[in-house]
Amino acid sequence: MTGWAALIPEGLLLAAALAALFGGQLPFGDRGTALRAALFAGAAGVFAAFTRTGELFGGALVFDATSTFVRAAVALMTAAWCLWLAGRDIGDERRAELVSLALFSSVGGMLLASAGDLVTLFLTVELSTMPAYVMMGYRRRDARSLEGALKYFFLSLLTSLVTLYGLSFLYGLTGVTAYAGLSAAGTNTLGLLGAVLAFVGMFAKMSAAPFHFWAPDAYAGAPAASVAFVSTVPKVAAMAAIVRLAAALLPGTPALIPMFAGAAALSMLWGNLAALPQTDLRRLMAYSGIAHSGYLLLGLVAHTETGYLASVVYAVAYGVPSMAIMFVAAEEGSSLADLGGLAERRPWAAWSALVLLLSLVGVPPLLGFFGKLYLFGAALDTGAVWIVVLALGLSAVSAGYYFRVVYVMFMAKAPEGREPLAASVPATAGWALCVAVTALLGVFASPLLQAIGGKLP
Amino acid sequence: MFPLLTVITFLPLAGAVAVALLPRSREGAARWVAAAVTAADLALAVRLLAGFRTGAEGMQFVERLPWVPQVGIQYFMGVDGISVTMVFLSALLTLLSVLASWKVAERPKAYFAMMLLLQVGMTGVFCALDFVLFYVFWELVLVPMYFLIAWWGGPRREYAAIKFFLYTLAGSVFMLVGILALYLHPAGGTFDMVMLAASNLPAGFQWWVFAAFFLGFAVKVPIWPLHTWLPDAHVEAPTAASVLLAGVLLKMGTYGFLRVSLPILPQASASWAWFIALLATISIVYGAAVAFAQTDLKKLVAYSSVSHMGFVMLGIASMTAEGINGAIAVMFSHGLVTGLLFLLVGMVYERAHTRKIADLSGLSGQMPVYAGILAFASFASLGLPGLSGFVGEFLSLLGAWKSDMHRGFVILSALGVLLAAAYMLWMLQRVVFGKPSPAVSGISDIGRLELVTVLPLILLTVVVGVWWDVLLRFCDPAVQALVSALGAS
Repeated sequence: MTGWAALIPEGLLLAAALAALFGGQLPFGDRGTALRAALFAGAAGVFAAFTRTGELFGGALVFDATSTFVRAAVALMTAAWCLWLAGRDIGDERRAELVSLALFSSVGGMLLASAGDLVTLFLTVELSTMPAYVMMGYRRRDARSLEGALKYFFLSLLTSLVTLYGLSFLYGLTGVTAYAGLSAAGTNTLGLLGAVLAFVGMFAKMSAAPFHFWAPDAYAGAPAASVAFVSTVPKVAAMAAIVRLAAALLPGTPALIPMFAGAAALSMLWGNLAALPQTDLRRLMAYSGIAHSGYLLLGLVAHTETGYLASVVYAVAYGVPSMAIMFVAAEEGSSLADLGGLAERRPWAAWSALVLLLSLVGVPPLLGFFGKLYLFGAALDTGAVWIVVLALGLSAVSAGYYFRVVYVMFMAKAPEGREPLAASVPATAGWALCVAVTALLGVFASPLLQAIGGKLP
Repeated sequence: MFPLLTVITFLPLAGAVAVALLPRSREGAARWVAAAVTAADLALAVRLLAGFRTGAEGMQFVERLPWVPQVGIQYFMGVDGISVTMVFLSALLTLLSVLASWKVAERPKAYFAMMLLLQVGMTGVFCALDFVLFYVFWELVLVPMYFLIAWWGGPRREYAAIKFFLYTLAGSVFMLVGILALYLHPAGGTFDMVMLAASNLPAGFQWWVFAAFFLGFAVKVPIWPLHTWLPDAHVEAPTAASVLLAGVLLKMGTYGFLRVSLPILPQASASWAWFIALLATISIVYGAAVAFAQTDLKKLVAYSSVSHMGFVMLGIASMTAEGINGAIAVMFSHGLVTGLLFLLVGMVYERAHTRKIADLSGLSGQMPVYAGILAFASFASLGLPGLSGFVGEFLSLLGAWKSDMHRGFVILSALGVLLAAAYMLWMLQRVVFGKPSPAVSGISDIGRLELVTVLPLILLTVVVGVWWDVLLRFCDPAVQALVSALGAS
């Protein structure tokens, strides 16, 4: 029986978030707030990893392999982000509020990963995205930041409502909000419509095509430090929620699977091809995010237990390196030219960024490779050959734009008059955590998941 | 048991880490570390050859550990007579490449670290017997080679480097499809290459999987029309990278056919054989014809590689013991001879700062020893009997003639030998003889270190050419076993 103890991680994050928000009088100041938050988030990650499986509140929260993995991942990614933030400032703004917003968002994300009920689902989606609106507009005097935030806000709100609209149909048809009874809704057209709307809203949050248009503008405008968080951590949590919802709905509505396949193919094509001509690192990563959302949907196309888990693992394989690449954009500037000569100025940063980018391409033995191996294996296993071939072909295409980043870092000249970046222990630690996970988790992913009760193909 | 293959494979990784950790003030020591590590690795490779039981069938020096047991991925290393020669070749050529790079002054730490990392991948590909492990090593090769070309290459290096990277990556993702398909098929169900070779896959399925692997391997070989990355990469790459690219990396492709396509997909190999023979013949003739037209010495050698690798593919397509033995002999000999030729091109480029054949005339007066070695290498390359090049080309043509492929392919390929003689001799005539051009006036002959670098290649070329058995005793038992398995299916 899982008791309240299962919620210790969320409690830790909540405590740290409140301390960051109201603890202006606490010692250690602004930087200390970020460090303390990192500590709490790290502890939350460890607790989350050892959560026992079970349910809380009559199935409103479900604790299983997926939620254990994702909750730990969300907490630890938040910890890495807070560590990095403790070492780098974001313009003239204070860190404390930004940290508290991120922590609230990750509380929402962790609960979202275990949501087993439509009401919990919607509340936690909102809890994980609301703070993100503020984060995206955190530089309140910067018009571009506000523009990005506004776009993100309107679209996110709209998609939340679309999801809610879909959920209302599902509830109306079945009379229950618990996932367990939902598959009955799929038997008629209205149920299918409800499921489509629910997924459309969630896909838009994942920036999957054809609902992706907001992402590049929003990511290019908002402060890079916020984008590093918003474009990765909530996505990992949302993926867990999507697979859980899919597992509940798909048995009743197999008609959704071609829709998933179409969205996956479109996202992969659009994201990978549109990323090729980008000259701004953040826009490039936004399109790469769209492409990776396409890969993630392959697990839904497979609609098997292993496929779902592979999707969740791949969400982490996308999220961790992408977050670290956004750190570089925050440190060096987001135009590709700003990265020129990085290998000369900061060789360790450049070489480890190479590892991150190679993982995103899917080069072994990095996390991205194993993520793709499990994901594509699961999809092939159910006979979805054409989409896996497409995904693999486009993975090779993706090397084209990731290597433009590599090219600039290693071959191009540094821009004129660039001040060297001050070394910072916490920022390096946050960065190193991301790199280590990217480099090593792949090899250990399968035993790790088995230890928490999951199964990969 | 002493894990010899693991040590041979990963010793250079330790070397690369050691080089990367050298303080910037002592970065010149990188070459010494690299030389020591590669020399030790060569010594271990010789030890491997000495300990290899030539008559025995099956894999030797096997190491097997579970890696990801849930999915059946293993750390599974082992060599047979085909791969053991390639492991030796990789170790030898890496050491010589390090020696040939002694004067690299720009970023020596990164350069030698890349060189050592490259060796990890090359050796690993030839030792890995688990598909995931194989794929890991296969892809590992790309990154260091990308940097070797892109950082230390010629004027169009960035274009050449990314072209190399994307071509090979695009090919290898299809290989990944093949690997996954084999794993997921009920008759396969494993990443274990030895176990898969004993499995009995349906012919229709084999045909598709063969196509996937074909794309991965053919780009690497490279087979016409997938060869266009090769001349670019070779021309822009620094000398040592060219040596390893031609000497070892191309062999990874043909090795893939020998290790994967033939044993695991025998029926598909048989039905694809005519197509491979066709492309091989085109590669032979086309490579030779284009080599004729080259004005750049390095590009000439690059296109001659396309032609020579065609002979490897022809031997493989014959699916006879003679042909496959010949293919392996061409692989080995091409590694020695083309490695030698690229080293020689690098030496003259360093002195004359040009590779234009027209500007290099009259070298024999200025560099008599060099000219002699160049003549030797050219004769070896064109397949003069008594030197290593002849062994493989003879055997693979013989095998092709004996097989049931269309005789026209064999006749046209034999014509390729004639063409090779023509373009090589014509090149020699223009470079070695004639009036000394201004570019070569006053340049010095080959130095002592350079002589040490080329000498092992010269000796081995003669030894293998005269005493075929020194090579064939290793590969023949494995080849016989492979051919009898092919015949049985």
